[in-house]
Amino acid sequence: MSIRCGGNCNVEARMRDELAINIDPIQVGGRLTPEAMKAIIAWGDGYSVCDNCRKPFRLDYIENPPLKDFHADVAEWLGMAQARTVPGARRGFQQVAEAYVEKGDPVLIGSLAHYTSYLSIEGRCGVIREIPKTEDNHITAEAAAERIEDVIREFGTAPKLLYIDQVDYQFGNIHDVKGIAKVAHQYDIPVLCNGVYTVGIMPVNGKDLGVDFIVGSGHKSMAAPAPSGILAATEEGAEQVFRTTKSSGDLTGRTFGLKEVGILGCSLMGAPIVGLLASFPTVRERVNHFEGELSNSKLIVEALRSIEGTKILSEYPRRHTLTRVDTTNSFDVVAQTHKKRGFFLSSALSKKGITGIIPGATRIWKYNTYGMTRAQAEYVAATYLEIAETNGLAVNK
Amino acid sequence: MSQRAADAVFQGLFSLTDIRYILRTTAPQHKLSDEEKQKVEKALASVEKQIAILRGELL
Repeated sequence: MSIRCGGNCNVEARMRDELAINIDPIQVGGRLTPEAMKAIIAWGDGYSVCDNCRKPFRLDYIENPPLKDFHADVAEWLGMAQARTVPGARRGFQQVAEAYVEKGDPVLIGSLAHYTSYLSIEGRCGVIREIPKTEDNHITAEAAAERIEDVIREFGTAPKLLYIDQVDYQFGNIHDVKGIAKVAHQYDIPVLCNGVYTVGIMPVNGKDLGVDFIVGSGHKSMAAPAPSGILAATEEGAEQVFRTTKSSGDLTGRTFGLKEVGILGCSLMGAPIVGLLASFPTVRERVNHFEGELSNSKLIVEALRSIEGTKILSEYPRRHTLTRVDTTNSFDVVAQTHKKRGFFLSSALSKKGITGIIPGATRIWKYNTYGMTRAQAEYVAATYLEIAETNGLAVNK
Repeated sequence: MSQRAADAVFQGLFSLTDIRYILRTTAPQHKLSDEEKQKVEKALASVEKQIAILRGELL
């Protein structure tokens, strides 16, 4: 019988990560540190972090818990002038789009971008123009330059903003953000770097990349609860996206101090912000050990590659732990005749205590090895080989 | 007001959280190394201590 979260509530205790190795591409980087789990026990109540909110009544000025220092530390860590928390990366995209994009304005976007990037432009009635990917699924500075020229020809003006993923969610490929930013700046186009799969996972420095904005995700890559994220900006960019209210009520004359318009005042309270805060020392340190994560990733990639018919669709050798794989000519061949059909793979993995791939997926699927111990990586690699051999697939050891 | 009882509740939950984390890093087989076993021993001792404090403070 499953354990429920007490009283009359109909919520089961979730034990996915206690009982199995999770390889869900979107979940692994957002799993909480023990510090975050403890902080949430203590600070999970709704407006808890507002206990000590004093003038000027803004989240990033609160000193206990140390949110003021946290905001400054995050900005410095990312090589940017200022940072704010946002309720998820998508709200960061939205905040930047709101500052720069007006109706009919062209905006350039890498064609591997997440749908929320597109929607943030649509929300401003901007006109989306994509930068095409290369055959090997990269967004390049050359392609960005060509598309900027295309936009100028079409609209008579350069794009108002350019979005580029540092690592995309489809292949986990690393893109030339620095080169793209250099090209964009030749046309005075501000650049938003989507660091959802990098901030909190691997070293990221906005100054080195030369970007105007970095957006990170707390719940995807910074060991924090959802919804949480970071929007960091250069000094010039900050003036646009973090502008403070100037309005007043026409009858009452009410004004609203230093509240920021883009995020409607304060962004995160309670569990999301204390989780982000409590995990930050670990997150700041863990990015320096990304090579170890890649080493674990390599172990599993090589195991999969050794199964005849399996192809790695992501760039190879891997430079990120999120990987897209094609098993149409291996596991899917088994699925054609297996009594569980396409569900045999997720079922076999589940029996061995591995979870996180979409049930039924045996053709093209993604996984993420981030956060595994070495022993867990070895176990996952061995399990894939075992499943392959058990089902009659050839393994080239 | 029993500050001691409140402290004990949090300390106990934090120690259990340390065990939870070890469950995660050793899943799915939960074969603990000597070092991990020591950490669990330490956490359990802490939990037992906090329970004793709570009995004394609240019952």
